[in-house]
Amino acid sequence: MMTAIIHITLAGYLASTVGYWIALPVKRILVAKISTWILGCSFFFHSLTLIIPHLHGGQNPLISISGALSLFSWIISGAFILFQTRTKTRILGVILSPLILLVFFAASYQLTGDRLLPPHLQGPLVTIHVILSVAGEALFALVALAGILYLLQDHFIKKRRFHAMSRLLPPLEDLDRINRFGLLIGFPLLTGGLLAGSVWAQSVFDHLWLWDPKLIWAFAFWLGYAFILHQRMAIGWQGHRAALLSLVFCLVFLFSLAAIILIFPSHHMFSR
Amino acid sequence: MDIILLGLNHKTAPLDIRENLSAPCGEGRHPLHDIREIDGVQEAFFLSTCNRIEVLFRVDRDTEEVISRVKEFLRQKGALPAEELHRCIYVFFNEQAVRHLFRVAASLDSMVIGEPQILGQVKEAYREAVELHGAGIILNKIIHYALRTAKRVRTETKIASHAVSVGYIAVELAKKIFGTLAKKSVLLVGAGEMAELAARHLMENGTTRIVIANRTFENAVQIADRLKGEAARLQDLERHLQNTDIVITSTGAANYIISKQMVASALFRRRNRLLFLIDIAVPRDIDPEAASLDNVYLYNIDDLQDIVDENRVMRQREAERAEDIITRELCAYMEWFNTLEAVPTIASLKDKTDLIIRHEWERSASWLQTLPDDDRHRIKALLAAVVNKILHDPFVGLKEKTADQNGKAYIAVMRELFNLEEKSSEKSSE
Repeated sequence: MMTAIIHITLAGYLASTVGYWIALPVKRILVAKISTWILGCSFFFHSLTLIIPHLHGGQNPLISISGALSLFSWIISGAFILFQTRTKTRILGVILSPLILLVFFAASYQLTGDRLLPPHLQGPLVTIHVILSVAGEALFALVALAGILYLLQDHFIKKRRFHAMSRLLPPLEDLDRINRFGLLIGFPLLTGGLLAGSVWAQSVFDHLWLWDPKLIWAFAFWLGYAFILHQRMAIGWQGHRAALLSLVFCLVFLFSLAAIILIFPSHHMFSR
Repeated sequence: MDIILLGLNHKTAPLDIRENLSAPCGEGRHPLHDIREIDGVQEAFFLSTCNRIEVLFRVDRDTEEVISRVKEFLRQKGALPAEELHRCIYVFFNEQAVRHLFRVAASLDSMVIGEPQILGQVKEAYREAVELHGAGIILNKIIHYALRTAKRVRTETKIASHAVSVGYIAVELAKKIFGTLAKKSVLLVGAGEMAELAARHLMENGTTRIVIANRTFENAVQIADRLKGEAARLQDLERHLQNTDIVITSTGAANYIISKQMVASALFRRRNRLLFLIDIAVPRDIDPEAASLDNVYLYNIDDLQDIVDENRVMRQREAERAEDIITRELCAYMEWFNTLEAVPTIASLKDKTDLIIRHEWERSASWLQTLPDDDRHRIKALLAAVVNKILHDPFVGLKEKTADQNGKAYIAVMRELFNLEEKSSEKSSE
């Protein structure tokens, strides 16, 4: 049954991706609206793929690279649907639906197979750690994406250039709202994720903290997140500056993460 | 039979003549009643907007006389001197009349090309024409084609998608910045007419609060009354700058009344919330350097006018594509119109009955086969004879009527009743 649900979810994401892309040249809002509904249904089935394994009491599917990817795409999908109720950002579907599709497609390869986890990786703390960290990171990815679009649209309006592209991009304030939402919700999630991780480390290794490159990276990421959120909420860095800062941060951390994974050995193997 | 379109518009008639004509038309008895009573008018459709009067009608004989009767009716209605009216009025015949109506409905003949109201006005006029039994079989068809053409132009070209007034551009830009204008507030500085219009557009699009600041406070109060806003003194500008999202300036001041420094400090106090500044004063009211601040979007009158001009050119280009659509739809209409001859109608009705007989014959093939050949031939002959007898009288009537001028309407009814349009309408919708 699980395989069938995964296939339905994949088909739904594929259909909504195709729908969003068709809506662009044919210029029919109805097509985009239908795509959003399809995406909503796929999100429902996607949720089932995350819940069902728990009901069966089998292996926790989240503690694996594919589980985390599935969760990542689920969060983005959910956040996008949430935005549709608040903002005029349907156009984001053109970028997000293929992203969700690709990530979930990559995840779906291993979602069904049963794997045996080493005993120390079982238990609620690890699950909470994974869910919260991935959610925080997914929301930050959304923030960065909204940042790119914000900078583009800001450029067009400032330079008084109006063409098809600027017509398609969402309004500035809606993009800024995504930035605010992503930071406000994502930061506590990430914080909770890191705390759960360190409490678990305490129980397994007898240390709250390990001097591990990946953990240092995670902590720096958290600090960066905190900095942007602070500048935004306390100093009032909205709009252009918040968008630019979020984007730069995201890029810096993505590159450094890639470097760390390639160069250093680590306790924290994502792919085990 | 002739289709006549008689009218005047903003290009041919000055405002006072249009006013004279449309004012009495708007009240009391609908002019269509009177037009229908004019001797010789078979069907009629009457369109009146502030920019145009158009009368579309069908006559079967004495076309010239009927036209002068309709003109005379318009002259009396507007209480105008004859020569003045004749100078303003245009008359189109048949294909040209239909083309003109298509262009009007598609908003190509409007003062602002692509404006959206005209289509609704044509629909409303059509509704009235149907209610007052003005539109019969031929005019119905023409107006349906006109509405269809207008819709195609609207969806297949971008004729209406680019704003062409400063007020609408301001609204479009504000929406690009803020998304929704609900809960946004406007600050109007100065009393320029264009600025007030832009403010009105913004309010129609959802802004909730408007503050009017002016050098003379009494003027501010006056405008505030008109716009249902709050009046403010110019000295308090800085404080208001902090609390508004959209600022429109149009004072006669010789120097900048809003400096970069003022904007920067207001921005700081409003915690960098986005600020949209529209400066339509000449000389300018806002220091152009303010545009370099983050989260500030400054447009002056030249910027807005540039967009207006660009969009005008864009609409003009789209209008050319619209003319193609109109020509194609006109061809489709003429194709239909040309079927309104006795011989092709009789032929296609004959084809249809033959087809029906063949179909029914095939459906009954299984039991017909059990009959001897002779009987089958007899049944076939019987079927053909019955059908021919039934069709004989309508065919003779049709030929008689078409010898008369009134024939096309009869043929149109016949084609509609026997559903002979199917083939031609399928062709045109392809």
